[in-house]
Amino acid sequence: MQNKFTDTELIEQTLAGNQSAYADLVKRHQRFVFTLAMRFAKGREDAEEIAQDCFIKAYKSLSSFQQQSKFSTWLYSIVYTTSMTFLRKKRVDTTSIDDEATFIQIEGRASGFDEHSADNRSRSFYLNQAIGQLLPDDATIITMFYKGEQSLEEIAQVLGIEANTVKVKLFRARQRLKERLERNLKHEVNELI
Amino acid sequence: MNSIEEKLWNYIDGSCTLQERQAIAMLIEQDEVYRKKYDELLTLNQEFSTMEVDEPSMAFTYNVMEAIRTEKAMQPLKSAINKRIILSIAAFFILTISVLVVMILSKVNWHWGNSSALDVTVPVPTQIAANVTHVNSFFSGPLLKGFLFFDIVIGLFLLDNYFRKKHLYGR
Repeated sequence: MQNKFTDTELIEQTLAGNQSAYADLVKRHQRFVFTLAMRFAKGREDAEEIAQDCFIKAYKSLSSFQQQSKFSTWLYSIVYTTSMTFLRKKRVDTTSIDDEATFIQIEGRASGFDEHSADNRSRSFYLNQAIGQLLPDDATIITMFYKGEQSLEEIAQVLGIEANTVKVKLFRARQRLKERLERNLKHEVNELI
Repeated sequence: MNSIEEKLWNYIDGSCTLQERQAIAMLIEQDEVYRKKYDELLTLNQEFSTMEVDEPSMAFTYNVMEAIRTEKAMQPLKSAINKRIILSIAAFFILTISVLVVMILSKVNWHWGNSSALDVTVPVPTQIAANVTHVNSFFSGPLLKGFLFFDIVIGLFLLDNYFRKKHLYGR
């Protein structure tokens, strides 16, 4: 059931001592927070731990939320910081797709995007697979832009960088995602043949 | 960086000025390369929009709320106590001390005697004076020594705890 209260109203109720209002806020944002955490953790258990940690942190510092931005933007900045800390702690090995070796495989590929290949699998499967292969920063920017209802300025606020830098990063992330998607689809077609 | 793609993405995102928008719209209409690229990026943009959002476990909200409840229960007393209560207690003591000081000062005999010093005499009721003598007897040698010894032991215990914690966090 859709909650009739806005985020601001739920925050006010939570600050007044109504814990169930915060549970409603968690229910409303948990899917996206979990998705963002998945971009960093790559495993459901770790992602749930990060997401849970974020909601606890947000609850603790809810009184300091000035409401100068959307609650979601504020929450996502907590998610980003927590996830970065998680990455630093876990020292996850991430291979940059800027690496020359990675690009060797991409070279010589047609730039056109064939949307009719590999029909036997859902499009979203390939898309999620390709996003999972991106660097956490690229995947986060793309996810926030397309699913988080965040503008370039809001994403800049979350990441603590300039809006113009986000624009450039988004452009590059989309290019990389396109390349990944094409490569995965081609690989799938080759397997089928 | 591919300038055509960059321009087209800005056009699709709506993050360009009105003039740029008009110029790009005209290019898409007239230039075959621009039109093909635009169609390709538009398809890609729609594809990206269909991205699925992951779902956490069913008990996620419950786990979060339970963790918050546990954390609240484990909150140290100093942060759990309302600051207003502390301020009220402080105000009560300040008021009590002020009243006592005013009462004592009002009872002082502000009399200049023959000597150059001020003769400040605070009349103490006989019953209170007797009690004070009685209390003084408790602060005899062995009791005072015992009290100080106990204080030193507690002090060393707390100091030991402090250094242990510091050493643990340092590691």
